[in-house]
Amino acid sequence: MKMKNIIIAAMMVLAMLTLNACTSRTGDGGTRRKKIGVSLLARTDVFYRDMEDAMKEAAEKGGFDLIIQSGDKDLSKQQSQIENFIVQKVDAIILCPTDTQGIAPAIERANKANIPVFTADIAAGGGLVISHIASDNIKGGRLAGEYVVQALQGKGKVGILGHPEVQSVIDRENGFKEAVKTAEGITLIPTIAAGGKRDRALKAAEDLIQGNPDIKAIFCINDETALGALSVVESRGLKDVIIVGFDAAPEAVEKIRAGTALKADVAQQPKEIGRMAVEAVAKHLRGETVEKTIAVPVTLVQ
Amino acid sequence: MSLKRFSGIALLIAILLECIVFASLSDSFLTTGNLVNIAVKNADIAILAVGMTLVILTGGIDLGIGSVIALCGITAALITGVTGSATIGFLAAVSLATIFGVFNGTLVAFFKMPPFVVTLAVLTIARGLAFIVSEGRSIGNLGTEFGAIGQANFVGIPLTVMIASLALLVGWFILNHTKFGRHVYAIGGNPDAAFLAGINVKKNVLAVYILNGLLTGIAAVVLASRLGAGVPNSGEQYELDVIAAVVVGGTSLTGGKGGVFQTLLGTIFIGILNNGLNLAGIDPYLQKIALGVVILSAVLLDRFGK
Repeated sequence: MKMKNIIIAAMMVLAMLTLNACTSRTGDGGTRRKKIGVSLLARTDVFYRDMEDAMKEAAEKGGFDLIIQSGDKDLSKQQSQIENFIVQKVDAIILCPTDTQGIAPAIERANKANIPVFTADIAAGGGLVISHIASDNIKGGRLAGEYVVQALQGKGKVGILGHPEVQSVIDRENGFKEAVKTAEGITLIPTIAAGGKRDRALKAAEDLIQGNPDIKAIFCINDETALGALSVVESRGLKDVIIVGFDAAPEAVEKIRAGTALKADVAQQPKEIGRMAVEAVAKHLRGETVEKTIAVPVTLVQ
Repeated sequence: MSLKRFSGIALLIAILLECIVFASLSDSFLTTGNLVNIAVKNADIAILAVGMTLVILTGGIDLGIGSVIALCGITAALITGVTGSATIGFLAAVSLATIFGVFNGTLVAFFKMPPFVVTLAVLTIARGLAFIVSEGRSIGNLGTEFGAIGQANFVGIPLTVMIASLALLVGWFILNHTKFGRHVYAIGGNPDAAFLAGINVKKNVLAVYILNGLLTGIAAVVLASRLGAGVPNSGEQYELDVIAAVVVGGTSLTGGKGGVFQTLLGTIFIGILNNGLNLAGIDPYLQKIALGVVILSAVLLDRFGK
């Protein structure tokens, strides 16, 4: 009985919170501007904030209204945001899926409601997506791998701190592995999952280094992971381990400039992704054809 | 008492089995370096688990700790940045966490609100605040003093491990050798009977949540110092890790049964499991399954033990 009360109360709190999230942005002015619903992966990373800024700028230029929300890396949250977009009858949806496969049913529901769906940064595993705008993640991973091979002169133990829940990250990992495998002297340690977050990466890096004292390089699938790994390398006073990150966020670039163990970073162009996504929507709504995938170039910062 | 000792023994055997399995899977598992590594990795969890044990013993729960840790880490980083003193930053973080303890305790003890709901609300509020205050970005580059707690060693033992040991020791002493400790067990066992026996239930429950808040603040400082930064998305799902450690240790979610020693064993058990699976190079997807299965078996073992 008591448990039941607790559950009912908990559900009420959740319902209130969701309701709040839904009603925070309404209002349909007199002039009919086209509305684009955006559900980002998270607002935590500088990456998505940059993307958001560029989207707003592009929407301003194109005369669109943006409804920007964040899925906060939570599939069910993102699903309900899409449901809300459908109810609000937006003209298009741009998504950064929190889960490549899991998002498919929600996209199918948007398809049924005749709302065109675009994905940015992370691809969807199902449903009809008009266009996917993203960094060339495999290429990025390959750049990181080539850098490591060169820096280690083709020999040594190499580890990966990954996040095997997300397709774009799996692509980075695969690109990296592909490049590293060309050097016969390099041994690849099985990937350790680090959740893509700094606190989890800290702990995963401890295990990676502990289990492989002779490790020479660590490829981290994003900068939060790389900065977590860097804390460990520095606190252990390791001199001959190099770290390669992904995203080239300002804090990471600072660390590269400061001559730390973080030596290189794959730079994406989140602003370009954001801008091109909104432009792809505009093109589609004007009735022009849009390419199925739009690859935004990546570069290596070192 | 004999029952309590037995469930401890069952878990000790499980830990031993775990060690044998992992030692055979990885050469680097059973080394001094790795044992220190396991202790360092789980210092923050252990500190939190002491507070959570107290809360769960009263029949309560705290779902907000992960978010409070993030908010306190951000607070420490911001205040260190402004004042130039990490000490002041850390004191502010601990104070803030203690205030959350007062808040939780007051609502639970005096307003009779279910702890699940109160702390669920804190979970979302504190996380939201952490993002707002930090503008969604990690706050780093705070100088060596900020990272000192996370880096320092005394006679080969990391300071963070010493802090965790002290928290465990104090928690154990309070529960087993003070009147307050006996009251905590009595309240969790049967609040009405405790009230009739003349125990001030409200005051004691409030004290438990305040103590839990204080420990959350200390854990926040340990984590922030190790990260060398305040990180808004840190501590996510820590509440689950900590509750798992407490429950695997054998503390009953309905209150009144369990203790800090059991929690220590639970923390060690899960800590070794995570570390061993990583060292053995087990596939990350399989690790998730293994963790769940092992948690279930540990609790089952405990049930059969009784």
